[in-house]
Amino acid sequence: MIAQDSERRAGIEPESQAAEHQAEPVRPTGRRSLLWLPVAALIIGLIVTAALALVSHSQYTSNEKRLLKLRVRDAGALIAGALPSVQTPLASSAELADATNGNPEKFKRFIAPYVGHTPGRTFATVSLWRLSSPQGGPVAVVGVPPKLALTPAAAMAFFAQVVRRPQLNVIGLLGAPDPRLGYAFATPGVPGGYVAYGENPLPASRRSRLASSSQFAGLHYALYLGRGQQPRKLLVTDGDRTPLPGHEATAIVPFGNSAFTLAMSAQGPLAGTLPRDLPWIIVGAGVLLTLAAAGLTLRLVQRRRHAEGLADRLELIADENQRLYGEQRSIAQTLQHALLPDALPQIPGVETSARYEAGEEGVDIGGDWYDVIDLEDGRLLLVVGDVSGRGLRAATTMASLRYAIHAYAAQHDAPTEILTKLSYLLNVADTGQLATILCALVDVDRREISVASAGHLPPLLIQNGNGQYVESDIGLPIGVEPGASYTSTTISAPPASTIVAFTDGLIEHRGEDLDQSLERLRGAAVARNGALPELLGGLVKELHSGAAADDIAIVGLRWTS
Amino acid sequence: MDELEPHQRVELATDAAGNAIVRISGDLDISGIDSVQAQVAPVLAEHPAKLIVDASGLRFADSSAIALWVRWATTARSFELRNPSPLLRRVVTAMGLAEKLAVTP
Repeated sequence: MIAQDSERRAGIEPESQAAEHQAEPVRPTGRRSLLWLPVAALIIGLIVTAALALVSHSQYTSNEKRLLKLRVRDAGALIAGALPSVQTPLASSAELADATNGNPEKFKRFIAPYVGHTPGRTFATVSLWRLSSPQGGPVAVVGVPPKLALTPAAAMAFFAQVVRRPQLNVIGLLGAPDPRLGYAFATPGVPGGYVAYGENPLPASRRSRLASSSQFAGLHYALYLGRGQQPRKLLVTDGDRTPLPGHEATAIVPFGNSAFTLAMSAQGPLAGTLPRDLPWIIVGAGVLLTLAAAGLTLRLVQRRRHAEGLADRLELIADENQRLYGEQRSIAQTLQHALLPDALPQIPGVETSARYEAGEEGVDIGGDWYDVIDLEDGRLLLVVGDVSGRGLRAATTMASLRYAIHAYAAQHDAPTEILTKLSYLLNVADTGQLATILCALVDVDRREISVASAGHLPPLLIQNGNGQYVESDIGLPIGVEPGASYTSTTISAPPASTIVAFTDGLIEHRGEDLDQSLERLRGAAVARNGALPELLGGLVKELHSGAAADDIAIVGLRWTS
Repeated sequence: MDELEPHQRVELATDAAGNAIVRISGDLDISGIDSVQAQVAPVLAEHPAKLIVDASGLRFADSSAIALWVRWATTARSFELRNPSPLLRRVVTAMGLAEKLAVTP
């Protein structure tokens, strides 16, 4: 029964550990892959970069448009500001002519400073016409001959208009070659008066580049006569084509009875190159940062996976250790049980039972043992012992003591003699080991028990709800003194009584007084009824605290009558 | 982690009479036996007149600790177990070792 029990205990644990072991590796596959993280970082980074670049670009574009509009307005204001310098000389000379009845000499003398090709001279030619008969040609001319004079019909139509409009009148003589722009002014409300008419040549190809020192350098421009950008009304431009390349801003500048339309576009960024390049800088930096962030995330994810892989491996190693530990432990327990009796002797009149419980900690074998030896003369020897220390050394010492007791018992030595003989077998100074041993010689028929103790805890005698320890003189543990002497105490046991011997692992509690521990065992034992094996099993279960490091050996004998 | 820290502490001293005093405090069980033995071995090698184990600071001692003292008691010229706790004294007495270990007081 004991052997079966031990085998079952030894067998169950590795199996259950193996079952846990199989369940473990499922966990890693349940882990979610985090590879989407760097991809997400990449996508988010690119989206943010694109958004920033777009915002920056639209800022740049709208800013450029605003700046261009301002420049066009400035240029328009400049052109509008030129009106008086054209109108005033003509108006004054027309007034002079009216006052002097068209005196050509006075007119010429007055207007001469405004005519010429040198800078500061406003007109290429200025002529005086009689409004009532313009077809007759000019009354006086200063400078080159006026082109308008070549087409009397056009001149008549133009001057007829001048009369009606008391302001500077503008006419475009744009036919090639020698295109010109003409201005006329007559004092309003003077019938039969005079009109002063000036002309300025336009560049033959209508092309004129701005000086690089001009405040409008860096801009393309095109100037048209009238409102709108009709190609045939183009006066002058700096470019090769109209409409101008790039974004165009226009301003209409009223000028006398007509107007100029000015169109401009930027040759390069007006606010400098940085705002223009900023979107690309953002794109470049953003892409680099995004790639770096994605790379870093990838690295972190990979490290994490690596760490998880390590953790998995460690887990497997821990499981393997656990398995090996269990295996080793079961080997130790198997060995221990092999050193303990296979089966207890069957003796009429008494029932015997024993249990061995391995300590929870460690895989070492303990040095506890029990024995029941049939002396085959109606007596038997009940033995419980405990070799100090653990491991193979403790177990082998235990085995040698146990077999020695068998030998001495076979010679029918009394318990005291057995202990004294054992005291020569072990020496603490050599091995560091002590052994406490309780020998109880039981006479079945006479119900007598002789107890001799080598430093061992006393056995408990239970009968009919009462329990008492069989106190005897405590001799030295085995190993202290070779040839130590022992005395035995003999008691007579009541009918159907039970004697239980045990090792200190059963009662030992750190911090608890030994007498308290013994009292606890006594209380637990007398409270239990039932068969002997159940009594021993129940006591082990009840008293053996889960954290107990020590092994337990317990043996019991009960008179069946 | 617990395993790496000794549960017990050993202090060595000599009294005026030339007795070696081993003061052990904390918990002494099988895991600390080798360490304590190694620390006390040089003291024993000098054969002091008496080896005194002062157990006043010892909270717990198991049977291997007691076996260690018995070993010292059989090796040294004279031995004394001084100031064990009542619990420890009771265990020593239960093992029949009170006299061998010269428990005082």
